[in-house]
Amino acid sequence: MHKLGRGHRDKLQQFITITGASEKLALQALKASDWHLEGAFDFFYSQPQLKTFTDSRHLEELYNRYKDAYVDMILADGITLLCNDIQVDPQDIVMLVLSWHMKAGTMCEFSKKEFIEGLQSLGIDSLEKFREKIPYMRSELKDEQKFREIYNFAFGWAKEKGQKSLALDTAIGMWQLLFAEKQWPLVDHWCQFLQARHNKAISRDTWSQLLEFAKTVGSNLSDYDAEGAWPYLIDEFVEYLNENGIIQNDLINDSSLKR
Amino acid sequence: MSMSERKTIDLEQGWDFMLKGITKLKNILEGLPEPQFSSEDYMMLYTTIYNMCTQKPPHDYSQQLYDKYKESFEEYIVSTVLPSLREKHDEFMLRELVKRWANHKIMVRWLSRFFHYLDRYFIARRSLPPLNEVGLTCFRDLIYKELNGKVRDAVISLIDQEREGEQIDRALLKNVLDIFVEIGMGQMDHYENDFEAAMLKDTSSYYSRKASNWILEDSCPDYMLKAEECLKREKDRVAHYLHSSSEPKLLEKVQHELLSVYANQLLEKEHSGCHALLRDDKVEDLSRMFRLFSKIPRGLDPVSNIFKQHVTTEGMALVKQAEDAASNKKAEKKDIVGLQEQVFVRKVIELHDKYLAYVNDCFQNHTLFHKALKEAFEVFCNKGVAGSSSAELLASFCDNILKKGGSEKLSDEAIEETLEKVVKLLAYISDKDLFAEFYRKKLARRLLFDKSANDDHERSILTKLKQQCGGQFTSKMEGMVTDLTLAKENQTSFEEYLSNNPNADPGIDLTVTVLTTGFWPSYKSFDLNLPAEMIRCVEVFKEFYQTKTKHRKLTWIYSLGTCNISGKFDPKTVELIVTTYQASALLLFNLSDRLSYSEIMTQLNLSDDDVIRLLHSLSCAKYKILNKEPNTKTISSTDYFEFNYKFTDKMRRIKIPLPPVDEKKKVIEDVDKDRRYAIDASIVRIMKSRKVLGYQQLVVECVEQLGRMFKPDVKAIKKRIEDLISRDYLERDKDNANMFKYLA
Repeated sequence: MHKLGRGHRDKLQQFITITGASEKLALQALKASDWHLEGAFDFFYSQPQLKTFTDSRHLEELYNRYKDAYVDMILADGITLLCNDIQVDPQDIVMLVLSWHMKAGTMCEFSKKEFIEGLQSLGIDSLEKFREKIPYMRSELKDEQKFREIYNFAFGWAKEKGQKSLALDTAIGMWQLLFAEKQWPLVDHWCQFLQARHNKAISRDTWSQLLEFAKTVGSNLSDYDAEGAWPYLIDEFVEYLNENGIIQNDLINDSSLKR
Repeated sequence: MSMSERKTIDLEQGWDFMLKGITKLKNILEGLPEPQFSSEDYMMLYTTIYNMCTQKPPHDYSQQLYDKYKESFEEYIVSTVLPSLREKHDEFMLRELVKRWANHKIMVRWLSRFFHYLDRYFIARRSLPPLNEVGLTCFRDLIYKELNGKVRDAVISLIDQEREGEQIDRALLKNVLDIFVEIGMGQMDHYENDFEAAMLKDTSSYYSRKASNWILEDSCPDYMLKAEECLKREKDRVAHYLHSSSEPKLLEKVQHELLSVYANQLLEKEHSGCHALLRDDKVEDLSRMFRLFSKIPRGLDPVSNIFKQHVTTEGMALVKQAEDAASNKKAEKKDIVGLQEQVFVRKVIELHDKYLAYVNDCFQNHTLFHKALKEAFEVFCNKGVAGSSSAELLASFCDNILKKGGSEKLSDEAIEETLEKVVKLLAYISDKDLFAEFYRKKLARRLLFDKSANDDHERSILTKLKQQCGGQFTSKMEGMVTDLTLAKENQTSFEEYLSNNPNADPGIDLTVTVLTTGFWPSYKSFDLNLPAEMIRCVEVFKEFYQTKTKHRKLTWIYSLGTCNISGKFDPKTVELIVTTYQASALLLFNLSDRLSYSEIMTQLNLSDDDVIRLLHSLSCAKYKILNKEPNTKTISSTDYFEFNYKFTDKMRRIKIPLPPVDEKKKVIEDVDKDRRYAIDASIVRIMKSRKVLGYQQLVVECVEQLGRMFKPDVKAIKKRIEDLISRDYLERDKDNANMFKYLA
């Protein structure tokens, strides 16, 4: 057995903690990236997940454990029980990631197809495996591409059936949940602005473009293009920030963000 | 008989003979007493050259004679001509030069004749310069080259003297300058290089000195008068003694020094510059300014800019005046377009007339000034006054002219002329769609309530609007006018129908106007509970209409109706002219002596707003047909009403007005809604043809497409784009958020 240096051992442990990967996979990823953690993450997430064999009988048992008594679906009570079993808070963002894997059509509901196919894609057919997978699902939020997919998935998942827009309160809750993972310094100002000035539902376009705005425009807004194709609401937000002199206050925050 | 052989002439002998002839010629040129050449003398001289050129070699002296021909000139110039010129200066030198040049040309002519045989054979055969050219070249090389600088300076000095007002010998200068031209022998290079260049340089410095003084001591008009006079005089100078090819160059120099260099200083002179001239209506000076500045490169740009600023300022002053006048009105009448606003439009028309005349006359229809006028009017013609947009003001102004009893009494010609001018102003207004909507609203009122003064004028303005804004702009309005014509025919048919069908009896006189829905402004159509007398009317007309068209649906708009009612009051009967709503309310009192507010509301089936307005007009306004309990100024839901049997008026026929609903807000809302549709349609049209387009390009094309009707706000376009994304007409490109795709 190879003896790892202390630095390498620390990185290995850190990688395993974040991704929930096995030691073997972790070692493989770190070696492929010459022991750079960021590169290792990219390597790990870019590999197609090996389709682990899952026992369909066990999956059926899991489904039946949580499904509603009257409807062939898992509803709020079933989800609460599931969270209890896997020791996750129902409000935890990892439940959003799980829903994304399941391609859930709407919040607080899993159809049988969604549940079973989702767990299959995750290689889960038991509660033990489910609990083991939680750190992996949490770590997926670190990957930029996956975060974007999950973020955009959240819009359809969180909105009311039959509606085209996302209710403002729901949108604000989702943004606070999601940007806790992404550290966008303007998120609180954005939510205050919406409640003060907008007070209406959020369109899908605005929802998806806000993530681009958060990623591409610095928090001092010096590179904001007022002539660009940003949604109207984002233009209004920038005006709001300038009117209230918020940008100056955030200059300090911005510099502190540069590690 | 035998011929005697000709004796050979040797060179010295022959040339001695020629020298005698040449000396004789010189004496003549010098003015010495010398008889003229006789024809015999001439023949002898010619023959001598002939003989010496045709003798057998080595006695053929052609080459030697050719050389001696040239030497003759050179000797004469060096020994006689140059000394006489060198000893003289300035004007005297010029006179001597002119004389010498004239003499020289005579000498060339005579000697060329004597030596003519050389030209015909020797020179032709050897391709040598002709005798004439040799002679002129001698003068150029020996005299011109030495003296042309002094000559130039002397000429320029005289020109400057003339510029200072002195009398000079123009003929002399003409002759001197002709030498420069003739020396060139068909080319202008000597004139241009040896005289003109220096003359132009001197002209520049002369006028630069003058201008630097004049700009300080003269007013703008005086300066321009001087400039114009200078240009005229320089043009005269060319006509009198400069070569005509100098004119454009000379004038350009003068224009540069007098105008280009000091353009801004001149135009911006505080008390007499362009702005002051415009303010004081100095049309003659402005015309001169245009004539002068139109000749220098980009010279009209600052003039047209000042003109634009001036017109804009004047226009904004009118806006300010109108705002001030309006703010002095009583608060409760603020929303009604009043007399002050009419005056404002009239003044804008006058302003346009005035400055259009400036553009056409002072500024000779130049495109820069048309553009300046347009841009100036676009600034203030798009300002509102007292909460009313200019589009609304123009529509009201037209209404005032076209309706009966308008505040102005104009002749037919004056009406036509005024309407023409209003339509011209409309070109400057961005929100033409808003004008169209307000105009349509007022047109509807004129047509439906028989307030239109003249059908021909109504059609005439539509023709003008059509020319200006296109057929689509006026199609609805034309439809409205046509509907009225058809309505008259329809009413005639209805009356025939009634006379032919005794069973069809409305019971009262009935006139119905059928309107085409799309043409007219949208009206609310309530389910007013009609009195029985009116229900009968509706049924009879419906039966009639069914006989003509089986597939059309009639919707009744009672809010537009008018009724004549006989009111039987104790003092006397009075005829009341009321709206259908008012009539329906009054007829309730045929059956009931006393009614509560809620009873009236229930029986008529109207909303609170309508009932309040209605009852107020009948009980709280000028004519109190109903008595109200309690006797207050406002209607409340707990009030009771009784017929006022004691009502009377000195007139036998009165009209009871119903206060108008505020239409402004509705018109603006309608226009906003139409604009949203228009922007959506434009975006979809663009994207359908392009399939993929960047955001900036989409906005630009959208603004271009809609610009004839209104100027869309970029924010409004952005909102429509987002709405179209929501409705799945468009989507953003996955990789580039600035790119949009059309979804089929």
